[in-house]
Amino acid sequence: MSDINSIPSPDNPEEALAAVVALRLMAERLERNAVKQAIAQGWSWSQVAEALGVTKQAAHKRHAAYISKNNANRQGDR
Amino acid sequence: MFKRLKLRIEDMKTISRLIAGADEQARISGEEEPGAEHFLLSALELPDGSAKRVFDRVGINADMFRQAVTTQYEEALQSIGVDMSSVNAEPEPLETERVFHSSKPSGEAVMKKLHKLKKTDKDRPLLGAHVVAVVATMKHGVTARALRSLGVEIASLQQAVDDELVSV
Repeated sequence: MSDINSIPSPDNPEEALAAVVALRLMAERLERNAVKQAIAQGWSWSQVAEALGVTKQAAHKRHAAYISKNNANRQGDR
Repeated sequence: MFKRLKLRIEDMKTISRLIAGADEQARISGEEEPGAEHFLLSALELPDGSAKRVFDRVGINADMFRQAVTTQYEEALQSIGVDMSSVNAEPEPLETERVFHSSKPSGEAVMKKLHKLKKTDKDRPLLGAHVVAVVATMKHGVTARALRSLGVEIASLQQAVDDELVSV
């Protein structure tokens, strides 16, 4: 496995910063997709929040608007 | 006096279209807040057509730029050994009625610089080309990387903006 301290090259901060931005975007998408799937599978917002290590309010505020109304009505905010 | 007032009202309409378009572009790419790249894509759809003509002058279009944004993310991740396609992080358009009230810092920077630029260019209406002019000053970040990957140099983009604005 590559030495994580050597990638990207320390001589190239531009590349390292771009990687950080891309990782952030990828993490956001991964989180949103995972929450959507969890809610679709019947997870409660409390369970999602616990798994993400945030409060239920924070999880709901961040994601509820992006989960379709039909899905939300079916699953309810348990 | 009346002309200046009319221009100001037109500018306000353009700003409103620009922001709404940037929000829409962010939603399409599955992002919660618009960044500079989304403001640029929104400018390309403004009815004045000047941003699109600037892109024509440097040989690119909106689809090429959109693809370049995606590619630069993929390449940035590859540089640290991450294959984006192997992760369940495909962008899904955000379906929400929520109105965004904030932008990413790069998006805020576009609006601030646009305001400043427009103060020095009071006789022309606000145009998509002005947005390109502002974005062309940003040397780092997603937009700069995407433009570089398309082989567009900042200087040539700025020249294309100047040529377009002279013709207005």
